[in-house]
Amino acid sequence: MFYRDRKEWADLEPVPQDDGPNPVVKIAYSEKFSDVYDYFRALLKKDERSDRAFALTAEAIELNAANYTVWHYRRVLLQALQKDLREEMRYITDIIEEQPKNYQVWHHRRMVVEWLNDPSEELEFIADILSQDAKNYHAWQHRQWVIQEYKLWDNELEFVEKLLEEDVRNNSVWNQRHFVISHTTGYSSPAILDREVQYCLNQIRKAPHNESAWNYLKGILQDRGMSSHPGLLEQVLELKETHCSPYLLAFLVDCYEDALENNNQKETLNRALEVCEYLAQEKDTIRKEYWLFLQRSLESRFGPSAASGEPLADGTEPPAGNDCHT
Amino acid sequence: MLSPLQLEEFEQIDFLRDRHVRFFQRTLQVLPERYASLETTRLTVMFFAVSGLDVLDALDVIDRNNMIEWIYSLQVLPTEDQSNLSRCGFRGSSHIGIPYSVKGPGVLHPYDSGHVAMTYTGLTSLLILGDDLSRVNKQACLAGLKALQLEDGSFCAVPEGSENDIRFIYCAACICYMLDDWSGMDIQKAIEYIRGSMSYDNGFGQGAGLESHGGWTFCAIASLCLMGRLEEALSQRELDRIRRWCIMRQQSGFHGRPNKPVDTCYSFWVGATLELLDVFQYTNYEKNRNYILSTQDRLVGGFAKWPDSHPDPLHAYLGLCGLSLIGEPNLRKVHPALNITQRAFQHLQQLQQTWRDNAGTCT
Repeated sequence: MFYRDRKEWADLEPVPQDDGPNPVVKIAYSEKFSDVYDYFRALLKKDERSDRAFALTAEAIELNAANYTVWHYRRVLLQALQKDLREEMRYITDIIEEQPKNYQVWHHRRMVVEWLNDPSEELEFIADILSQDAKNYHAWQHRQWVIQEYKLWDNELEFVEKLLEEDVRNNSVWNQRHFVISHTTGYSSPAILDREVQYCLNQIRKAPHNESAWNYLKGILQDRGMSSHPGLLEQVLELKETHCSPYLLAFLVDCYEDALENNNQKETLNRALEVCEYLAQEKDTIRKEYWLFLQRSLESRFGPSAASGEPLADGTEPPAGNDCHT
Repeated sequence: MLSPLQLEEFEQIDFLRDRHVRFFQRTLQVLPERYASLETTRLTVMFFAVSGLDVLDALDVIDRNNMIEWIYSLQVLPTEDQSNLSRCGFRGSSHIGIPYSVKGPGVLHPYDSGHVAMTYTGLTSLLILGDDLSRVNKQACLAGLKALQLEDGSFCAVPEGSENDIRFIYCAACICYMLDDWSGMDIQKAIEYIRGSMSYDNGFGQGAGLESHGGWTFCAIASLCLMGRLEEALSQRELDRIRRWCIMRQQSGFHGRPNKPVDTCYSFWVGATLELLDVFQYTNYEKNRNYILSTQDRLVGGFAKWPDSHPDPLHAYLGLCGLSLIGEPNLRKVHPALNITQRAFQHLQQLQQTWRDNAGTCT
């Protein structure tokens, strides 16, 4: 039954949308939809705080759960009418299960959790959403917020390992791994760093063509001396024979670049240039132009024509042919 | 006589300009009820269509003046007593029920306020349609914007509260850039938030600790470019690492995160970022183009995220922008940071020159 025909609503004048004489991107609503929202607009105008208003917000949400004004008004009513927040948690759980990629529903849940100051259902709930879509960005965002806000770090690494066993290529999980470790033990201890390096290499042995694992490996080492981690370069060169990938080769280039920055050796540069060539011509041809650009860049930075010592008085570089040992 | 395979190849590379024009025209008219979830963001949908038509050099098919009026009806103007300044900006649509009006003073309503993404797309749409922004209450917009920035440098979308993240920093940067007035935001704090969003893998997430993603990386880099702070905020080493993360997103077209499927819109989000970082020239144009065109809807026009999927205005617009970046003939060039055509951008530059000239004469 339309709201306009209900006698308990007869005191309210419905408020239609008014787009003027030339509406743009107009949505053609059914009578039922317009009826609900005409009354929503009427309530909003009065800022009515009542149970009938609260009930109507649920109908409005069902028709359009992306309307942030409806959600905000519902939150105002939740507080003004002292509604049962546990019940609201059940409600928002159902809605998110139906529409897990909507910003408003997750924000609403976060507000209710904050009001209740009770995160006890969150990790299980989010795990359930992730079991349906293991890469849902909203779910991971909510999870990180809950963990950080309520200090629920204890079992998260275990959760990460479980998910990586299910899908070692899930980039969201690798990100979560970094999130957990950087906020708990950190990476500065050699024991932890080495554990993580070995973990990566083991995952790479199982699934070599996995950008996520290589990004993680590079990520934890890039500012801690990629080329100086004991035995790493050797392990990577070994893997190159049996578990090669564009990511392995790119990692190799980055190792060589790191080495060159500390000790510019012609042999190292040549190896780096060779790998770039290999990537460009054979192993990562879609990025051919980029690898050739990188090659030129390395040559220019570390090659024989690069400056060594002071530039000449007129600002030009020293003549080509100088050995460049910085 | 072409063989079936040759015919198929020919069709695959055939860019159906007229279908896309009609797709955007229809978008600007009426959408069926199943698009209800777009109600509060109708102005962004208008932006996709109007900017899309601009990229296609087909703005002449619409009534620009009528559209300009509709946009102005969405402006949240100051009330008589100016008590709502921190809520000013543009609405996404008429969904609150404010009576249609293109001029002030604003109507006092307990729940009426602007939305940062609507203020951004409202201003860009006005520019694209050739308006001079003279009816925009710039000070009110900036006051409304300022009210949305949080301590950590990020922005909310609306003063009533919402999620806060890097998307809205981008919207804020566009607004300040267009209005040529950065008093609407604390740039330093915004830069800190952006830097804090850089992931261990050198892409940018929606916020600190979050997974790096092509869309948020665009927001980060484009914002810094608009602020004129790219090289101040990021070292050469960091920029090189970001270039690498971005360029690795190309699979055929582009995806938004490692190990995710490609999606037409990332041809713009990641493509534009690569362009801003001067390395888009090193991507594979042919594979990118072939992917975008494989998502073209040959019947109704527009583009979808994937082949054989339903087109929508966002993917239609960003697909076109992706093609424009690679220099597809008969498409206008797009400003990679502001995401409007260079033509519209030049109009903005002329406007801003006029404002500066006028400011000089009004002492």
